[in-house]
Amino acid sequence: MTELLIKNGFVFDPLNKVNGEKMDIAVKNGKIVEKVNEHKAKIIDAAGLTVMPGGVDIHTHIAGGEVNTGRMVRPEDHVKDAVRKTALTRSGTGYSIPSTFVTGYRYSQMGYTTVMNPSMAPLEAKHTHEELNDIPLLDKATYPLIGDWWFVLEYLRKGDLEECARHVAWMLQTTKGYAIKIVNPGGLESWGFGRNVHSIDDQVPNFCITPREIMVGLAKVNKMLNLPHTIHLHTNNLGLPGNYTTTLDTMKALESVPSDGKPNMHITHLQFSSFGGDGWGNMRSAAEEISKYINTHSHVTADMGQVIFTDTTTMTADGPFEYTLYQLSGHKWVNSDVETETSGGIIPFHYKKNNAVNATQWSIALELALLIEDPWKIYMTTDHPNGGPFFAYPKIIAWLTSRKARMATLKKCHKKAQKKSLLPSIKRELSLYELAIVTRAGQAKALGLTNKGHLGVGADADIAIYDVNPETTDIARKYKAVRKAFGNAAYTIKDGRVVVKDGEVVQNVDGRTIWLDVQTAEPCRIDEQMKNKFREYWSVDYANYPVYDHYVKVKDPITIQASV
Amino acid sequence: MSIVQSVTCPICGCLCDDIELTIENNEVVKVKNGCAICEAKFLGYRGHHRIKTPLIRKDGKLVPVSMDEAVHAAAEVLANANYPILYGWSSTSSEAQRIGVELTEEVGGVMDNTAVVCHGPSILGVQEVGIPTCTLGQIRHRADLIIYWGCDPWSAHPRHLERYTSFAEGRFEKSEWKAYMQKLKAQAGKKKVQSATRSGLIKTQPPRASSCTLPGAPPSALSKRGRKLIVIDVRKSMSAEMADFFIQVEPNKDYELMQAIRVLIKDGELDVDKVAGVPVEYLKEVADALVNCEFGVIFFGMGLTQTAGKFRNIEVAISLVRDLNMRTKFLIMPMRGHFNVTGANVVSAWQSGYPYGVDFSLGYPRYNPGETTCMDVLIKDEHDATLVIAADPGANFPKKAVQNMVKHPLIVIDPHMNATAMLGDIVFPAAFVGIEVEGTAYRMDHVPLPLKKVVEPPEGIYSDEEILRRILEEVRIIKKQKAQQKVEAT
Amino acid sequence: MIVLTPLKTFKFPVTAECINPDVFQGKTVAEIAALPVFEGNRQKTLGELFKIEQAEGDNPSITINGDASEVRRIGYGMKTGEIVVNGNAGMHLGEKMAGGRIVVNGNAGQWTGSSMKKGLIEIHGNASDYLASPYRGSTDGMKGGKIVVDGDVGADSGCYLSGGLIKIKGSNTGQFLGYHMSDGTIHVEKNAASRLGANMTGGKIVVSGTVEEMMPTFTIDSVKPKVKIDEAETATGPFYVFLGDLAENGTGKIFASKPNNPNLKAYEKYL
Repeated sequence: MTELLIKNGFVFDPLNKVNGEKMDIAVKNGKIVEKVNEHKAKIIDAAGLTVMPGGVDIHTHIAGGEVNTGRMVRPEDHVKDAVRKTALTRSGTGYSIPSTFVTGYRYSQMGYTTVMNPSMAPLEAKHTHEELNDIPLLDKATYPLIGDWWFVLEYLRKGDLEECARHVAWMLQTTKGYAIKIVNPGGLESWGFGRNVHSIDDQVPNFCITPREIMVGLAKVNKMLNLPHTIHLHTNNLGLPGNYTTTLDTMKALESVPSDGKPNMHITHLQFSSFGGDGWGNMRSAAEEISKYINTHSHVTADMGQVIFTDTTTMTADGPFEYTLYQLSGHKWVNSDVETETSGGIIPFHYKKNNAVNATQWSIALELALLIEDPWKIYMTTDHPNGGPFFAYPKIIAWLTSRKARMATLKKCHKKAQKKSLLPSIKRELSLYELAIVTRAGQAKALGLTNKGHLGVGADADIAIYDVNPETTDIARKYKAVRKAFGNAAYTIKDGRVVVKDGEVVQNVDGRTIWLDVQTAEPCRIDEQMKNKFREYWSVDYANYPVYDHYVKVKDPITIQASV
Repeated sequence: MSIVQSVTCPICGCLCDDIELTIENNEVVKVKNGCAICEAKFLGYRGHHRIKTPLIRKDGKLVPVSMDEAVHAAAEVLANANYPILYGWSSTSSEAQRIGVELTEEVGGVMDNTAVVCHGPSILGVQEVGIPTCTLGQIRHRADLIIYWGCDPWSAHPRHLERYTSFAEGRFEKSEWKAYMQKLKAQAGKKKVQSATRSGLIKTQPPRASSCTLPGAPPSALSKRGRKLIVIDVRKSMSAEMADFFIQVEPNKDYELMQAIRVLIKDGELDVDKVAGVPVEYLKEVADALVNCEFGVIFFGMGLTQTAGKFRNIEVAISLVRDLNMRTKFLIMPMRGHFNVTGANVVSAWQSGYPYGVDFSLGYPRYNPGETTCMDVLIKDEHDATLVIAADPGANFPKKAVQNMVKHPLIVIDPHMNATAMLGDIVFPAAFVGIEVEGTAYRMDHVPLPLKKVVEPPEGIYSDEEILRRILEEVRIIKKQKAQQKVEAT
Repeated sequence: MIVLTPLKTFKFPVTAECINPDVFQGKTVAEIAALPVFEGNRQKTLGELFKIEQAEGDNPSITINGDASEVRRIGYGMKTGEIVVNGNAGMHLGEKMAGGRIVVNGNAGQWTGSSMKKGLIEIHGNASDYLASPYRGSTDGMKGGKIVVDGDVGADSGCYLSGGLIKIKGSNTGQFLGYHMSDGTIHVEKNAASRLGANMTGGKIVVSGTVEEMMPTFTIDSVKPKVKIDEAETATGPFYVFLGDLAENGTGKIFASKPNNPNLKAYEKYL
């Protein structure tokens, strides 16, 4: 494999505490190395450019049953964003739910190299993996939804944490998953009969368990299994006015799980869980309350769930929430409940500046990202495509790094939202170093992906180079240039190969699929009893449930030794 | 002899995956758990209509040729076509469908699957209003009201009732099988009395059966406990015989019927006494039953999708279900036919954004049924070549479409010498997916299931996937040569 | 004025959204001839498919002489000027039109005037299905402007209409005319097929001839002697006025001629 030497770039590598130093990065066999033979290596002159690890996205709905149903129901979304075939790349469509190939290209064009698909119904896991295989240029992983899985509910209710842990380990292996995803715990099972839970201490019908017990139980299981990421949580009451109290209750509940000062939970798309007020009329930002809690506690990380003013498609396993959205909007509504596991829903949604609620949501996500002082605790996402499509990230980068940029947008927002927004009082502007944390280093760290998100020796040679000169460019003032640069990477390097140059795909390579091979001392017993239960619970045979190895094109399992 | 368990049945959209096969000398000799259609396929697929070698039409006759020759000929046709159609895809694996999209994109053609003649309208309906649905196990566990509308599962999806609905045992709802058997016995008794009456053995009039067909007494069956089964159709099908309540709707009036029920479930009033031949009084009872269930579901078939109103029927059925969710839990699902027609939609959607009728002629995917489906193109004779795989349009397309199809080169990939293959110019024999080659298929509720290879294909017979891959490679070579020639010429 | 004459009968679909006065404006004949179009899957130039001539008159107008039934997207999104098609026109004629005028001396294909906002389309023959109706999955119907069809129209026309006027002078329409419309006016001078105004929530449909069948989900409201079509025209009845579609809690109005619809007399008992 070729050697590569990236010379004289301004390097931002927060995990190795490199803050804009001018230095060279050497690459060999797809990894970062100490040095290479300068005469043999291909040289990239990065003088005057910003060099960062490849972008990492901790939460983006890009593949699987839910996403694809979203594609199927929205021809009107695709027709406005067609992508032509080229000699190198496949054709496809956007907009809010791009086809698989286009997803890979567009992420790579922004300098991203690793993305996490956060919502996979285990029963449909093969579908997710088939799609991930068709997403080029990126390393990928996916989280199975197990917060409302009957086995989990039953073992947690019995208090049998060890057996629960073994089943979760089995599930991660079986579905080739990466983390424990919990969505509206208890609410999804309730939605099976059209109901929901409304606080973390509500009883789940027919199962005698509460959301609190599910979350705390699974956080303990997560710890017993030594999983690299924490539980990945979509809170109860998401998207409803006044839900910030539920979010605070949830974070407080997780204090009971020992964490040695490290995170034990990740709240995803935090914006949707930080609403104040008690109705849509007086819905307000609760970013202050939420960020205050997070600033004083060490067990929580989160991602933004930024809203973009555009026509997008919301999709989540939170079936009852999507039904609420349907009632609010009257748009076409997809519901997709999955037996014994989860639910799901889809609603097209147009976030508008002149809508007080939408504009407040936009403001909340930025307030959170700026008020939470430690960038290692909050990461940049749109919860693609829920808040907006991922290729709007350059806009968010501009809002985070430039007060001028966000004030320009705020000025166009609904008057009521403007008046209530905390943004005018926030002076903070992220530096490139901090930006590298919230867009790659922090996300990789939270995910426990030790080869990602940094440029130290031994790391994967996933590198992004942007046309921003930190010595001569005041990014807070030149936000339009920054937006452009982060939307069109000067170079994206995947596993040591240049795949994007000047925003165009120049080489097509497959990324890997990462999953956890969790080794428990005593494996989950798959005896006749379990198989019988399987038949009782699901409508497919046990033998046809797992994602067998041939479903993954480029395999990258990580072996984890569990403590059970 | 070997026994293979948990085999997925490659016939209908039910994709029953509990089939047990006994294999002897590379042949299936016994089928357990399957329905009659399943048995017939596994035991009889070998038949004598199997194509044995690639064929090319020369002087009007199909003659055997080598695989290389056939691949080259097919690639020539596709690479030179101005507007080719690549149709079928519903009885093959999603792995083959993936290559199908790539091939269609490469040759700038129209990719369409059999949804265009079955549930294409369902997709159009869904695109208008969405679809509240679920996986089949969810219905097994929870549904206490099951409606089959314009479909006959007993005949077309024989194990649907047993595996997923009325006769399946769920966590919260129990099987109605026993009750049904009792009902059958009672009916058999009544029939005996009736025949005795007819033959003059008994003089008395037998008591009127608490029949559920219309017109008659109010539908008391709707107030029974346990799972209820309602069938709505234009004729009393086998499934209707089993139902607790059967509504016979005037042909082509389903739209009006559903729209009227939508008003009635909101406690609205109608200015008419009858809708689609059904008295409004009855419909009010039905509306009550819909609203008062815990968890209801509508399954619909081609009785809705292919009758007057087509996709509007589906749209209104979904709207009805959507409205019902304001009062209770209600879901809806199409009864998909071919075992992997759902997969054809799924794969097409993830690669192109669109589920069927995708036109790549402009270099990017476009979709607009009415303009871009193979039927639209065939009827107007806009195409200049056709590839048919895993389908038999020669047997079931309208005459005009078939006539136009055979005007231009026709490439066929199929295990059998079916009607389309007989009309073909280049014919590839293919291995049976789910018997001789493995792969993946998507059940009607979008659950992916693995298809097994249980026996070896005959010597020299390749999988759909392999044939398509070779054609694609050859097309690329031809296009490259042509581009080079063009450069040299200028 | 530019005159286009097809050089042959097109077998393959020709995608030619460049046939638009706004695009031709300020271009020479040679420049127009070089505009890209697609014939099937081959990219061509307009000049390869049409004879292109400059004719008298410098107003921005285009005349197509000949059969253009396979030519799609003529006048797509046009804002000004005029297109005259002396022959049949293909699908998506005047789609997303925002101004100007299109005249077809022949028949027009599906999705003519789809999602149009402003302007005038006159079809002197028949119009096919989906006249003025939006693209699949979209609720973005015709918002304004006027379409006049001398002949019949196909099914699903005027879907999601939210403004403007469609006038149909032929003796028949397809089913589902004015489907889900929320505003605007459709005037059927002769007869309308069943499922008229299904799911409509607003606007009005006036039928001066017979209505094949009223949807059961419409309720009779009144009898009116006449109804206004637009500023220039009033239709005289008397008309039965129906409200619906009740299934959508709609308040759309269907005006059905009283003398031509004796079968609707049964509704009078509810008045």
